[in-house]
Amino acid sequence: MLSVQSYITPKNIKKKNRGDLIARNIFRATSILSASFVVIVIIIIAIRGLNPFFTSYEGFNNVTGIVYLEPVNPVTFLLNNQWLQGPVGASSDYGIGFAILNTIIAVIMSTFITVPVAVLTALLIAKVAPKRIAAFLRTVVELLASIPSIIYGVIGLGVITNIVSWFAGLFGVQTAAGLSLMSTVLVLFMMTLPTITAVAETSIRSVKKDIIEGSLALSATPMQTYFKVVLTSAKSGIFAGIILGVGRALGEATAVSMVSGNSFSGVTFNVLETTSTLTSRMLLGIKETSGIDYDIRFSVGLVLMIVILVTNVSLKAVMKKVGNLDES
Amino acid sequence: MKANMKLKNRYDKIASTSVYTLGFIGVIILSMIIFYVTTTGLSLVSWDTITGDSATINTNVYLDTGAGNYMPDEILPEEIFYSETWGIGLIDTRDREGHPIIEIAYLHPESPLLTSLDKNNTDEEGNPIEIEIKLDTAIEKAIFNNFTSFAFLTDGAEVMRDQFEQATSISDLTVQIVGGGIRGSVITTFWMIGLTLILSVPVGVSTAIYFNEFAKRTRFSSIIRNLVDMLTGVPSIIYGLLGAAVFIPLLNSTIGTGGGSVLSGALTMAVILLPTIIKSTEEALKIIPDDLRKGSLALGANQTQTIFNVVLPNATPGILTGVLLGIGRIMGESAALIFAVGAVIKDSVFLTERSSTLAVHIWVIMGGEAPNFELAAAIAIIILVVVFVINFIVKIFAHQLQKNMNWS
Amino acid sequence: MSEQTLKKPVFQLNNIDLFYGDFQAIKNVNMTINYHEVTAFIGPSGCGKSTFIRILNRMNDLIPSCKVTGSILYENQDAYDKNFDVIELRSKVGMVFQKPNPFPMSIYDNIAYGPRCQGIKDKKVLDEIVENSLKKAALWDEVSDRLKKSAMGLSGGQQQRLCIARTIAMEPEVILMDEPTSALDPIATQKIEDLIVELKQDYTIVIVTHNMQQAARISDKTAFFLLGELIEMDDTNKIFNHPKNEKTEQYITGRFG
Repeated sequence: MLSVQSYITPKNIKKKNRGDLIARNIFRATSILSASFVVIVIIIIAIRGLNPFFTSYEGFNNVTGIVYLEPVNPVTFLLNNQWLQGPVGASSDYGIGFAILNTIIAVIMSTFITVPVAVLTALLIAKVAPKRIAAFLRTVVELLASIPSIIYGVIGLGVITNIVSWFAGLFGVQTAAGLSLMSTVLVLFMMTLPTITAVAETSIRSVKKDIIEGSLALSATPMQTYFKVVLTSAKSGIFAGIILGVGRALGEATAVSMVSGNSFSGVTFNVLETTSTLTSRMLLGIKETSGIDYDIRFSVGLVLMIVILVTNVSLKAVMKKVGNLDES
Repeated sequence: MKANMKLKNRYDKIASTSVYTLGFIGVIILSMIIFYVTTTGLSLVSWDTITGDSATINTNVYLDTGAGNYMPDEILPEEIFYSETWGIGLIDTRDREGHPIIEIAYLHPESPLLTSLDKNNTDEEGNPIEIEIKLDTAIEKAIFNNFTSFAFLTDGAEVMRDQFEQATSISDLTVQIVGGGIRGSVITTFWMIGLTLILSVPVGVSTAIYFNEFAKRTRFSSIIRNLVDMLTGVPSIIYGLLGAAVFIPLLNSTIGTGGGSVLSGALTMAVILLPTIIKSTEEALKIIPDDLRKGSLALGANQTQTIFNVVLPNATPGILTGVLLGIGRIMGESAALIFAVGAVIKDSVFLTERSSTLAVHIWVIMGGEAPNFELAAAIAIIILVVVFVINFIVKIFAHQLQKNMNWS
Repeated sequence: MSEQTLKKPVFQLNNIDLFYGDFQAIKNVNMTINYHEVTAFIGPSGCGKSTFIRILNRMNDLIPSCKVTGSILYENQDAYDKNFDVIELRSKVGMVFQKPNPFPMSIYDNIAYGPRCQGIKDKKVLDEIVENSLKKAALWDEVSDRLKKSAMGLSGGQQQRLCIARTIAMEPEVILMDEPTSALDPIATQKIEDLIVELKQDYTIVIVTHNMQQAARISDKTAFFLLGELIEMDDTNKIFNHPKNEKTEQYITGRFG
């Protein structure tokens, strides 16, 4: 009989070890590759986004032919109230100040409506509802979370804008076929609801049983317990969910661009007027652009990433402060 | 105390009712979505739509032969004016903008029009290409018998039918063959899924293996981990910018593509999918008990053999979960692909050229003055069915895994 | 323990210290393990016997903070030398664990795993190896008709014998067993103890056990560990009947443990 030990020769061992080493290196290399994508994204967006501020693009003017445009002025870019002053392709006077504010307004408004609904839905699923209904609701939330944003956009155009239009009609207000801030907020609401609900539910479920029992033992009713004790204990988890939802809302592109109306200028506070977000301005007219009109979208993307970063950092700081106030 | 109790109970009832009402908003939203999508789009979900061309072709056709006697094989309604000579039934109707047109509402299965000749498109030898006149083709103008008799859109279907009846040859038909199919996008979506997975799964699984099986708590490995975690926080439109700025020029200079392509889209989607694959694989690896690894090493296997022979085979369900979730993500992705590929619907798909996936197709037809709600809803039905089924399968997987874990 | 058995050492360990970071788990242990004997390690929990047995097949290498110093000679070669491949060592010094850990594969594939990893592909050869190993592990009669079925369907005792068969398939010189029966019922335990006594003819066995009676039943030599030190090691009947060290006597008689 062939001896197994006879296979264990130095040559075989060397071969196996070499194979092991090669495999290890491959695993290591792929993880470095994966990690590098984040770095690449940041660097590329920074380079392409800053480019318009330093380059003189070639533009075309109907009157004088080829013109050389001034590099975009970063200050006016960030503060201007209008997307573009001057003809497209012949001007570099871009501005997204209004879009930054509009984005923030839309996200704040949608977060305001989403959070109570999400938290209460989470409470319902985690504590209040009987098992069968809770399982059903959980499935519903999961399904909603899996629906891609383009379909929310279709719903937005097909249903939400009509509702908004009708609603405005009640007040005698004319809208642009329902394209408005209100539609944007409602679409963002639908999209971020499942995200925040899911995280909140996990958070609520992990609240320790003895805290709940302690409250009930003090003759508090179940509802009082949920609102006063459970929700407060799950606070940090719920907040984390909100940060996640805000991040998603800030980055949402297709659905918002379909229902916002893509306003050209002005900060919109009136919910029945059109608005635009950073992402929707990036998408608008993407099919027919070139030159500076195309590259400027990278600059908008850069601004978007900064906005997301700043928002994340500040919200996390707020979360820490609120958390610390409780730790006594 | 008793009054206090009653008040408390009443508050409780109000509170729980409001929780229930608000909680069911999610159900209302989901039902509304399903309802809208189904009622608007279900009629278009058909084999024809899935396999049909998207583009609408405006051209001129002619036929020298074929006049005969074609009896219809079913009873046609009054509105259809049927010509037995050529086997077509015409109807007066309106187009999407509301203008009156004449459409072909019935075609005899042996009608010669099914293989008419295209005046405007010839093959390399200069012979005219055969083109198939389909149902819902609109006829703008008809010239018969060597330019001796005519019929126009304004004459109406009945008159045109009469002219057809008496014609021995069709000299020129100005037709508009309606597209509205999504074949190109369906094919593109399949390619996109396949290519993305080929690129993303090996890299993602390999990264997860490194994290879970090899990396020790060094500063290096935690830096890499943090960087990979950050990938999830980036919105997909930014990945689209990455695709446009890096992958498109890369492919342009290496393969010679001319701008966006299915390939650049696949590369972009692979990056987007990476965190999902890594996370699912890591979870699957973590569940495998360490005893198995120790047992393998004690038998004289090295770590790589242990990973491939013992660990990975057992991690397959988890990895598959990540793959399924990824497929759903690819099918739904729009913003990133609009930047990284372009928003162009094609009927013939080439990997080195632009093409649209189903999601991008929706974007294209919903843009502009006359959004095509019906087709968009139909595509939405297809996407939703796939995504929901995937969700369902993943749930079953998770359930089975739980059962297996409790077993052994 | 017949007089014919040549008492040659297969393992020679001198001045062994083992550290987990700053904590010293093994203190200055000297030990000889002879061919074709059953050596038992006994001692209260936490005394270092499981840690020590893992020095013999370098499983401690897997723990990054673990450092071993001293001389460890396997068949007169330095087992920790850079040129002595750890894979080769583990093929010669096999290990069976406390909780049976069969791979979620067929019985056949479990046994064939080790040989396949070393490059053996011939089906006939593998068939022979599987049959021999299962026979030596006293499991063949019970599973010969279901070799392709999953190993997870076996009982605990059968799974442990499978793990032993798996180790035997590598044709080791030494088989290490870390509390192999502590997770099994008495009948399965008995079967394995009988098996160990039989295996002694072909292999050298080192067994960690927290069950003194087991050590007394099946081992030739017994080593008593306490707090990382080797208190006493001698022929089993001497340890259990005339222990030289007071602490040994206290442990044997159940004064602590």
